[in-house]
Amino acid sequence: MITPSTATVIAVEARKAAASRVLLATGVLLVAGVGILTGVMTAAARGGNDEIRAQLGNFADADPWPQLVGAASQITAAGGFLAFGVALSWLVGREFADRTIAGLFASPVSRAQIALAKLAVFAGATVPVALVLTAVVLLVGLVSGLGAPDTDAWSGLVRLFILTVLTGFLTWPAAWVATLGRGLLPGIAATVLLILIAQVFAVAGTGAWFPIAAPALWAVAPGEVSTNQLALVAVVPAASAALTVRAWSRLELNR
Amino acid sequence: MREQAIRAEGLVRTYPGGVGVHGIDLEVAFGEVHALVGLNGAGKTTLMRLLLGMLRADSGTVAVGARWSGVGHTVDEPFGYPDLTTLANLAVAARLRGVPKGKVGEVSAAAIADLGLEAYATRRARTLSQGNLQRLNLAAALQHHPRVLVLDEPTSALDPRGVILLRTELRRRAAHGAGVLVSSHHLDEVARIADRITVINHGAVIGLLDPGGTDIERDFFALVLADDESRTGQME
Repeated sequence: MITPSTATVIAVEARKAAASRVLLATGVLLVAGVGILTGVMTAAARGGNDEIRAQLGNFADADPWPQLVGAASQITAAGGFLAFGVALSWLVGREFADRTIAGLFASPVSRAQIALAKLAVFAGATVPVALVLTAVVLLVGLVSGLGAPDTDAWSGLVRLFILTVLTGFLTWPAAWVATLGRGLLPGIAATVLLILIAQVFAVAGTGAWFPIAAPALWAVAPGEVSTNQLALVAVVPAASAALTVRAWSRLELNR
Repeated sequence: MREQAIRAEGLVRTYPGGVGVHGIDLEVAFGEVHALVGLNGAGKTTLMRLLLGMLRADSGTVAVGARWSGVGHTVDEPFGYPDLTTLANLAVAARLRGVPKGKVGEVSAAAIADLGLEAYATRRARTLSQGNLQRLNLAAALQHHPRVLVLDEPTSALDPRGVILLRTELRRRAAHGAGVLVSSHHLDEVARIADRITVINHGAVIGLLDPGGTDIERDFFALVLADDESRTGQME
């Protein structure tokens, strides 16, 4: 017997995640949902639908590509946060819901390693999801007849990709809450609460200083968010990872 | 002093309301099957969780005579990720126990044969019956040939054939030097496999049963009744 390496633990967690229909369905729903909603909303706005134009806010009178990418960013910021939060809550909370947690005790692999491996797998999955989501939005633009994207449109698409990745990382508090609450629902509840708080901060006008709202504000109006405000985003996954690992290390099967 | 597979001294863990374990000493030697018997709520599962680090003791010590990679256990619900097949579940368990990647297939296949799971090897765990889930659970606990085994009610969902299969397997493991701690409600079954039988009641060890005794059930209830009466007497 050998002590399992970190790579082994990550491979095991990746295998468990890859077999999951929940994660696959969540990823497909996110990408398809953003693609369809973006296509429908911008087509309606271009057709003169005032209600949809009101929904698009500053992008109502924008050129077609910025309008499309802006709409996709707004939808991803909220919908993506919910989808990533649900996926991460499941990734962590399923060990409790499926009652597989006992099997992770009395093992040469520490529970801290397992918690970190789960976050590593989630981080690793966030990037391809963001890539596919951005590609789908590009495809929607091309199919909608917007023509080849210009430089500004490409910049918007790059920001959409970064926004999606950061949105994935910003849901990490859900991992901690799912551990404390020992299940999926507490993690999902925390995700919804964070979305609501971000909305309040955004409406109050101080959103960019609230890390969970900063990437979305930056994606749609990069000039209005400072580097410091954007850098604060890193605090959320870092602190969440530390708290999650601590909670897993101290875990007891006492309820 | 000979090294024990498990040695617990003065273990205490009290839950709100007073239940739990209240100062248990226990030894499991390498090469023996040691059975824990007791009524529901006697503290068997709590004791096993304490031995495996699933719970922290309020006081007392636990020493396990093997590294964690040399420990196998089934405590609480049957192990099994619903989306993974029987084989994949075993592969995952084996890799987390330190079985080298190149040997995982061989190890899992042997466990599947030992537990009679051949027909279910490629079935997802979510489609398995409780009995087969328990077999999967036991295969995961046994496949890496642990030197220390802790099994909580390992036969609760097994059919009679599965019970005999497990009984044979545990005797074989003990004969090869493993220390086995097993809990059960079934006194007949325990009498057939155990070298030592410890009776637990209200979170304390109240005595031993002779596995070769002629009426083990009567002996068990005599111990439990005497303990209950002494507690009632103390309360009065």
